[in-house]
Amino acid sequence: MSTGQAVFAGWMEIPKGAVDENARQHAEEQALAALVDEYATTLYRVAFSVLRNAADAEDAVQEAFLRVLRHRDRLDEVRDRRVWLIRIVWNIVLDRKRRAKTRPETDDVQELARVLPAGGLSADERAMAAQHHAHVLSCVDRLPPKERQVIVLSAFEELSSVEIASVLGITESSVRSRLFRARNLMAGLLNHSRSLR
Amino acid sequence: MKPNENAGNKSVPCSDPQDFEASLRVVATLPAPDGLSDRVRARLRSTPRTARILEWPAAFRNDSAWMRSAAAAAIAFVVAGGGWGVYSRVQPNKVIAMPPHVAAPGGFSNAGAMRTPQTVNGPVLEHPANAPAVPAASPVKSPAPQVIEMPARKDKPSVPASKPDLPQPK
Repeated sequence: MSTGQAVFAGWMEIPKGAVDENARQHAEEQALAALVDEYATTLYRVAFSVLRNAADAEDAVQEAFLRVLRHRDRLDEVRDRRVWLIRIVWNIVLDRKRRAKTRPETDDVQELARVLPAGGLSADERAMAAQHHAHVLSCVDRLPPKERQVIVLSAFEELSSVEIASVLGITESSVRSRLFRARNLMAGLLNHSRSLR
Repeated sequence: MKPNENAGNKSVPCSDPQDFEASLRVVATLPAPDGLSDRVRARLRSTPRTARILEWPAAFRNDSAWMRSAAAAAIAFVVAGGGWGVYSRVQPNKVIAMPPHVAAPGGFSNAGAMRTPQTVNGPVLEHPANAPAVPAASPVKSPAPQVIEMPARKDKPSVPASKPDLPQPK
Protein backbone atom coordinates (compact mmCIF):
# COMPACT_ATOMS: atom_id res chain seq x y z
CA MET A 1 0.00 0.00 0.00
CA SER A 2 1.42 3.35 -0.99
CA THR A 3 1.73 6.32 1.31
CA GLY A 4 -1.06 8.22 -0.32
CA GLN A 5 -3.44 5.30 -0.04
CA ALA A 6 -2.62 4.89 3.62
CA VAL A 7 -3.25 8.53 4.38
CA PHE A 8 -6.42 8.95 2.38
CA ALA A 9 -7.99 5.56 2.96
CA GLY A 10 -7.61 5.18 6.68
CA TRP A 11 -7.30 8.60 8.31
CA MET A 12 -6.72 6.64 11.43
CA GLU A 13 -3.03 6.18 11.27
CA ILE A 14 -0.23 7.86 9.39
CA PRO A 15 2.45 5.44 8.33
CA LYS A 16 5.94 6.12 9.56
CA GLY A 17 7.27 6.17 6.01
CA ALA A 18 5.09 9.16 5.18
CA VAL A 19 6.53 11.14 8.06
CA ASP A 20 10.05 10.26 7.00
CA GLU A 21 9.30 11.24 3.43
CA ASN A 22 7.90 14.60 4.46
CA ALA A 23 10.85 15.25 6.72
CA ARG A 24 13.28 14.32 3.99
CA GLN A 25 11.53 16.56 1.49
CA HIS A 26 11.51 19.43 3.97
CA ALA A 27 15.24 18.96 4.58
CA GLU A 28 15.90 18.99 0.85
CA GLU A 29 13.95 22.19 0.45
CA GLN A 30 15.91 23.80 3.23
CA ALA A 31 19.22 22.72 1.74
CA LEU A 32 18.24 23.99 -1.68
CA ALA A 33 17.04 27.30 -0.28
CA ALA A 34 20.36 27.69 1.51
CA LEU A 35 22.19 27.05 -1.75
CA VAL A 36 20.09 29.67 -3.50
CA ASP A 37 20.72 32.24 -0.78
CA GLU A 38 24.44 31.58 -0.78
CA TYR A 39 25.29 31.25 -4.44
CA ALA A 40 22.58 32.93 -6.51
CA THR A 41 24.51 36.18 -6.70
CA THR A 42 27.75 34.49 -7.75
CA LEU A 43 25.96 32.48 -10.39
CA TYR A 44 24.23 35.60 -11.65
CA ARG A 45 27.56 37.38 -12.09
CA VAL A 46 29.05 34.45 -13.93
CA ALA A 47 26.03 34.29 -16.18
CA PHE A 48 26.01 38.03 -16.81
CA SER A 49 29.72 38.09 -17.68
CA VAL A 50 28.96 35.84 -20.64
CA LEU A 51 25.42 36.76 -21.62
CA ARG A 52 25.57 40.49 -20.72
CA ASN A 53 21.87 40.70 -20.26
CA ALA A 54 20.22 40.82 -16.87
CA ALA A 55 17.10 38.89 -17.80
CA ASP A 56 19.04 36.18 -19.61
CA ALA A 57 21.46 35.87 -16.72
CA GLU A 58 18.65 35.50 -14.21
CA ASP A 59 17.00 32.92 -16.39
CA ALA A 60 20.26 30.97 -16.56
CA VAL A 61 20.53 31.05 -12.76
CA GLN A 62 17.02 29.70 -12.42
CA GLU A 63 17.75 26.95 -14.91
CA ALA A 64 20.90 26.04 -13.01
CA PHE A 65 18.96 25.60 -9.78
CA LEU A 66 16.31 23.62 -11.57
CA ARG A 67 19.04 21.24 -12.65
CA VAL A 68 20.21 21.05 -9.08
CA LEU A 69 16.66 20.22 -8.05
CA ARG A 70 16.57 17.43 -10.60
CA HIS A 71 19.80 15.96 -9.27
CA ARG A 72 19.21 16.70 -5.61
CA ASP A 73 19.75 13.07 -4.71
CA ARG A 74 23.40 13.41 -5.59
CA LEU A 75 23.86 16.65 -3.71
CA ASP A 76 25.58 14.94 -0.81
CA GLU A 77 28.22 13.49 -3.12
CA VAL A 78 29.36 16.92 -4.32
CA ARG A 79 32.57 18.02 -2.66
CA ASP A 80 32.77 21.69 -3.65
CA ARG A 81 29.25 22.91 -4.23
CA ARG A 82 30.31 26.38 -5.28
CA VAL A 83 32.50 25.16 -8.11
CA TRP A 84 29.90 22.57 -9.02
CA LEU A 85 27.19 25.23 -9.30
CA ILE A 86 29.44 27.58 -11.26
CA ARG A 87 30.22 24.76 -13.65
CA ILE A 88 26.51 24.10 -14.15
CA VAL A 89 25.68 27.71 -14.88
CA TRP A 90 28.81 28.05 -17.02
CA ASN A 91 27.67 25.22 -19.26
CA ILE A 92 24.20 26.71 -19.46
CA VAL A 93 25.38 30.18 -20.48
CA LEU A 94 27.89 28.84 -22.99
CA ASP A 95 25.16 26.80 -24.57
CA ARG A 96 22.85 29.81 -24.72
CA LYS A 97 25.59 32.04 -26.07
CA ARG A 98 26.33 29.51 -28.78
CA ARG A 99 22.72 29.41 -29.86
CA ALA A 100 22.07 33.13 -29.63
CA LYS A 101 23.15 35.53 -32.30
CA THR A 102 26.00 37.91 -31.64
CA ARG A 103 24.81 40.80 -29.58
CA PRO A 104 25.68 44.21 -31.06
CA GLU A 105 27.93 46.42 -29.01
CA THR A 106 25.29 49.13 -28.68
CA ASP A 107 23.12 46.68 -26.74
CA ASP A 108 26.01 45.99 -24.40
CA VAL A 109 26.50 49.71 -23.80
CA GLN A 110 22.85 50.26 -22.96
CA GLU A 111 22.67 47.23 -20.71
CA LEU A 112 25.89 48.12 -18.90
CA ALA A 113 24.76 51.70 -18.43
CA ARG A 114 21.59 50.35 -16.89
CA VAL A 115 23.16 47.87 -14.49
CA LEU A 116 26.33 49.73 -13.53
CA PRO A 117 26.27 51.10 -10.01
CA ALA A 118 26.06 54.86 -9.87
CA GLY A 119 29.03 55.32 -7.52
CA GLY A 120 28.70 59.09 -7.44
CA LEU A 121 29.18 59.44 -11.18
CA SER A 122 27.25 61.80 -13.33
CA ALA A 123 25.11 60.53 -16.14
CA ASP A 124 27.74 61.45 -18.71
CA GLU A 125 30.47 59.67 -16.80
CA ARG A 126 28.35 56.59 -16.46
CA ALA A 127 27.64 56.60 -20.16
CA MET A 128 31.32 56.99 -20.92
CA ALA A 129 32.22 54.20 -18.53
CA ALA A 130 29.62 51.92 -20.05
CA GLN A 131 30.97 52.66 -23.51
CA HIS A 132 34.50 51.86 -22.42
CA HIS A 133 33.51 48.62 -20.71
CA ALA A 134 31.48 47.59 -23.72
CA HIS A 135 34.49 48.24 -25.93
CA VAL A 136 36.70 46.11 -23.71
CA LEU A 137 34.11 43.36 -23.71
CA SER A 138 33.90 43.48 -27.48
CA CYS A 139 37.69 42.96 -27.56
CA VAL A 140 37.22 40.00 -25.22
CA ASP A 141 34.70 38.60 -27.65
CA ARG A 142 37.32 38.66 -30.37
CA LEU A 143 39.65 36.38 -28.41
CA PRO A 144 39.83 32.69 -29.19
CA PRO A 145 37.27 30.75 -27.13
CA LYS A 146 39.75 29.04 -24.83
CA GLU A 147 41.51 32.27 -23.92
CA ARG A 148 38.23 34.13 -23.66
CA GLN A 149 36.77 31.68 -21.16
CA VAL A 150 39.81 31.80 -18.95
CA ILE A 151 40.06 35.57 -18.92
CA VAL A 152 36.36 35.98 -18.12
CA LEU A 153 36.55 33.56 -15.21
CA SER A 154 39.81 35.05 -13.95
CA ALA A 155 38.03 38.32 -13.30
CA PHE A 156 36.10 36.65 -10.49
CA GLU A 157 38.19 37.21 -7.43
CA GLU A 158 36.49 34.45 -5.56
CA LEU A 159 37.72 31.89 -8.11
CA SER A 160 41.26 30.60 -7.82
CA SER A 161 43.15 29.17 -10.75
CA VAL A 162 42.53 25.68 -9.38
CA GLU A 163 38.80 26.35 -9.31
CA ILE A 164 38.87 27.85 -12.80
CA ALA A 165 40.63 24.70 -13.97
CA SER A 166 37.94 22.63 -12.30
CA VAL A 167 35.14 24.63 -13.93
CA LEU A 168 36.70 24.38 -17.38
CA GLY A 169 37.88 20.81 -16.96
CA ILE A 170 41.53 21.57 -17.69
CA THR A 171 44.76 21.61 -15.71
CA GLU A 172 45.94 24.53 -13.67
CA SER A 173 49.01 25.00 -15.86
CA SER A 174 46.73 25.25 -18.89
CA VAL A 175 44.77 27.96 -17.12
CA ARG A 176 47.95 29.95 -16.52
CA SER A 177 49.27 29.59 -20.04
CA ARG A 178 45.91 30.52 -21.54
CA LEU A 179 45.64 33.49 -19.25
CA PHE A 180 49.10 34.66 -20.31
CA ARG A 181 48.18 34.40 -23.99
CA ALA A 182 44.84 36.09 -23.39
CA ARG A 183 46.43 39.07 -21.66
CA ASN A 184 48.91 39.54 -24.49
CA LEU A 185 46.18 39.28 -27.09
CA MET A 186 43.99 41.73 -25.22
CA ALA A 187 46.81 44.26 -24.92
CA GLY A 188 47.43 43.96 -28.65
CA LEU A 189 43.75 44.37 -29.49
CA LEU A 190 43.32 47.40 -27.29
CA ASN A 191 46.51 49.03 -28.59
CA HIS A 192 45.38 48.44 -32.13
CA SER A 193 41.94 49.90 -31.54
CA ARG A 194 43.44 52.91 -29.77
CA SER A 195 45.80 53.59 -32.65
CA LEU A 196 42.86 53.54 -35.05
CA ARG A 197 40.99 56.21 -33.11
CA MET B 1 38.57 64.46 -15.25
CA LYS B 2 41.02 62.11 -16.78
CA PRO B 3 39.95 58.52 -16.83
CA ASN B 4 42.92 57.22 -14.88
CA GLU B 5 42.73 59.72 -12.09
CA ASN B 6 40.06 57.89 -10.18
CA ALA B 7 41.73 54.59 -9.53
CA GLY B 8 39.41 53.64 -6.72
CA ASN B 9 36.26 53.75 -8.76
CA LYS B 10 35.97 50.68 -10.94
CA SER B 11 33.34 52.16 -13.19
CA VAL B 12 35.62 54.84 -14.58
CA PRO B 13 37.21 53.94 -17.88
CA CYS B 14 40.95 53.59 -18.11
CA SER B 15 43.14 54.31 -21.07
CA ASP B 16 45.90 51.83 -20.25
CA PRO B 17 45.44 48.69 -22.32
CA GLN B 18 46.73 46.59 -19.46
CA ASP B 19 43.87 47.79 -17.28
CA PHE B 20 41.27 45.98 -19.28
CA GLU B 21 40.84 43.61 -16.40
CA ALA B 22 39.24 46.46 -14.48
CA SER B 23 36.35 46.32 -16.90
CA LEU B 24 36.04 42.59 -16.48
CA ARG B 25 36.16 43.03 -12.75
CA VAL B 26 33.35 45.56 -12.92
CA VAL B 27 31.20 43.04 -14.70
CA ALA B 28 32.28 40.32 -12.30
CA THR B 29 31.23 42.37 -9.28
CA LEU B 30 27.91 43.62 -10.52
CA PRO B 31 25.22 43.47 -7.89
CA ALA B 32 22.54 40.92 -8.46
CA PRO B 33 19.06 42.29 -9.08
CA ASP B 34 16.83 42.67 -6.08
CA GLY B 35 14.76 39.67 -5.16
CA LEU B 36 16.76 37.25 -7.28
CA SER B 37 16.88 34.61 -4.57
CA ASP B 38 13.19 34.94 -3.87
CA ARG B 39 12.30 34.51 -7.51
CA VAL B 40 14.55 31.48 -7.84
CA ARG B 41 13.06 29.89 -4.74
CA ALA B 42 9.54 30.62 -5.93
CA ARG B 43 10.26 28.92 -9.21
CA LEU B 44 11.77 25.94 -7.46
CA ARG B 45 8.67 25.65 -5.31
CA SER B 46 6.39 25.80 -8.32
CA THR B 47 8.27 23.02 -10.05
CA PRO B 48 6.76 19.59 -9.42
CA ARG B 49 9.00 17.46 -7.28
CA THR B 50 8.03 14.09 -8.57
CA ALA B 51 8.44 12.94 -12.09
CA ARG B 52 5.28 13.32 -14.08
CA ILE B 53 3.87 10.03 -15.21
CA LEU B 54 2.22 10.11 -18.57
CA GLU B 55 -0.90 8.03 -18.72
CA TRP B 56 -2.28 6.35 -21.76
CA PRO B 57 -5.61 7.58 -23.03
CA ALA B 58 -8.59 5.53 -21.97
CA ALA B 59 -8.82 3.90 -25.37
CA PHE B 60 -5.26 2.59 -25.05
CA ARG B 61 -5.58 1.13 -21.59
CA ASN B 62 -5.25 -2.55 -20.94
CA ASP B 63 -8.93 -3.13 -20.28
CA SER B 64 -9.96 -2.24 -23.82
CA ALA B 65 -9.74 -5.47 -25.76
CA TRP B 66 -10.82 -4.06 -29.09
CA MET B 67 -7.86 -1.69 -29.13
CA ARG B 68 -5.48 -4.53 -28.51
CA SER B 69 -7.10 -6.53 -31.27
CA ALA B 70 -6.79 -3.60 -33.64
CA ALA B 71 -3.14 -3.14 -32.72
CA ALA B 72 -2.46 -6.84 -33.25
CA ALA B 73 -4.22 -6.71 -36.61
CA ALA B 74 -2.20 -3.68 -37.63
CA ILE B 75 1.05 -5.42 -36.69
CA ALA B 76 0.04 -8.54 -38.60
CA PHE B 77 -0.92 -6.43 -41.61
CA VAL B 78 2.42 -4.63 -41.58
CA VAL B 79 4.37 -7.88 -41.29
CA ALA B 80 2.37 -9.54 -44.07
CA GLY B 81 2.66 -6.50 -46.29
CA GLY B 82 6.39 -6.41 -45.82
CA GLY B 83 6.71 -10.06 -46.65
CA TRP B 84 4.60 -9.65 -49.75
CA GLY B 85 6.71 -6.68 -50.80
CA VAL B 86 9.85 -8.74 -50.59
CA TYR B 87 8.27 -11.68 -52.40
CA SER B 88 6.93 -9.52 -55.22
CA ARG B 89 10.38 -8.12 -55.90
CA VAL B 90 12.09 -11.50 -56.05
CA GLN B 91 10.20 -13.55 -58.67
CA PRO B 92 11.42 -17.07 -59.50
CA ASN B 93 11.54 -16.40 -63.28
CA LYS B 94 13.75 -13.40 -62.74
CA VAL B 95 16.45 -15.40 -61.06
CA ILE B 96 19.61 -15.26 -63.14
CA ALA B 97 20.51 -18.66 -64.49
CA MET B 98 24.02 -19.54 -63.62
CA PRO B 99 26.15 -21.16 -66.35
CA PRO B 100 26.84 -24.81 -65.77
CA HIS B 101 30.20 -25.70 -64.48
CA VAL B 102 32.40 -27.21 -67.12
CA ALA B 103 34.98 -29.63 -65.96
CA ALA B 104 38.45 -28.50 -66.85
CA PRO B 105 40.38 -30.77 -69.22
CA GLY B 106 43.31 -32.77 -68.00
CA GLY B 107 41.64 -33.90 -64.83
CA PHE B 108 42.45 -30.75 -62.94
CA SER B 109 39.95 -29.11 -60.70
CA ASN B 110 38.52 -25.84 -61.88
CA ALA B 111 38.70 -24.50 -58.34
CA GLY B 112 35.09 -23.42 -58.47
CA ALA B 113 35.60 -21.13 -61.44
CA MET B 114 32.45 -19.97 -63.18
CA ARG B 115 33.83 -20.55 -66.65
CA THR B 116 36.81 -22.45 -67.92
CA PRO B 117 38.24 -21.92 -71.40
CA GLN B 118 37.83 -24.58 -74.04
CA THR B 119 41.35 -25.74 -74.56
CA VAL B 120 42.74 -28.23 -77.07
CA ASN B 121 42.99 -31.69 -75.66
CA GLY B 122 46.53 -32.78 -75.05
CA PRO B 123 48.07 -36.16 -75.93
CA VAL B 124 46.53 -39.12 -74.25
CA LEU B 125 48.77 -41.97 -73.27
CA GLU B 126 47.35 -45.32 -74.18
CA HIS B 127 49.08 -47.31 -71.49
CA PRO B 128 50.55 -44.88 -69.00
CA ALA B 129 51.24 -47.56 -66.41
CA ASN B 130 53.08 -50.00 -68.79
CA ALA B 131 54.84 -47.42 -70.89
CA PRO B 132 58.64 -47.42 -70.61
CA ALA B 133 60.44 -44.37 -69.42
CA VAL B 134 60.54 -41.90 -72.21
CA PRO B 135 63.95 -40.47 -72.92
CA ALA B 136 64.19 -36.81 -72.29
CA ALA B 137 65.46 -36.00 -75.76
CA SER B 138 62.76 -37.89 -77.62
CA PRO B 139 60.52 -35.50 -79.44
CA VAL B 140 56.96 -35.43 -78.37
CA LYS B 141 54.62 -36.40 -81.11
CA SER B 142 52.48 -33.49 -81.83
CA PRO B 143 48.87 -34.08 -82.54
CA ALA B 144 47.73 -34.22 -86.10
CA PRO B 145 47.01 -30.82 -87.53
CA GLN B 146 43.39 -30.01 -87.63
CA VAL B 147 41.91 -29.71 -91.05
CA ILE B 148 39.25 -27.17 -91.30
CA GLU B 149 36.80 -28.03 -93.96
CA MET B 150 35.27 -25.11 -95.65
CA PRO B 151 31.75 -25.47 -96.91
CA ALA B 152 31.49 -25.94 -100.67
CA ARG B 153 30.36 -22.96 -102.65
CA LYS B 154 27.22 -23.52 -104.58
CA ASP B 155 27.74 -21.04 -107.41
CA LYS B 156 30.94 -22.72 -108.57
CA PRO B 157 31.16 -26.44 -109.08
CA SER B 158 33.99 -27.86 -107.22
CA VAL B 159 36.73 -29.43 -109.30
CA PRO B 160 37.67 -32.85 -108.06
CA ALA B 161 41.35 -33.63 -107.61
CA SER B 162 41.18 -36.67 -109.87
CA LYS B 163 38.87 -37.20 -112.77
CA PRO B 164 38.39 -40.93 -113.17
CA ASP B 165 35.39 -40.55 -115.47
CA LEU B 166 37.28 -38.72 -118.20
CA PRO B 167 39.29 -40.72 -120.69
CA GLN B 168 42.97 -40.49 -120.08
CA PRO B 169 45.08 -39.16 -123.02
CA LYS B 170 47.35 -41.69 -124.43
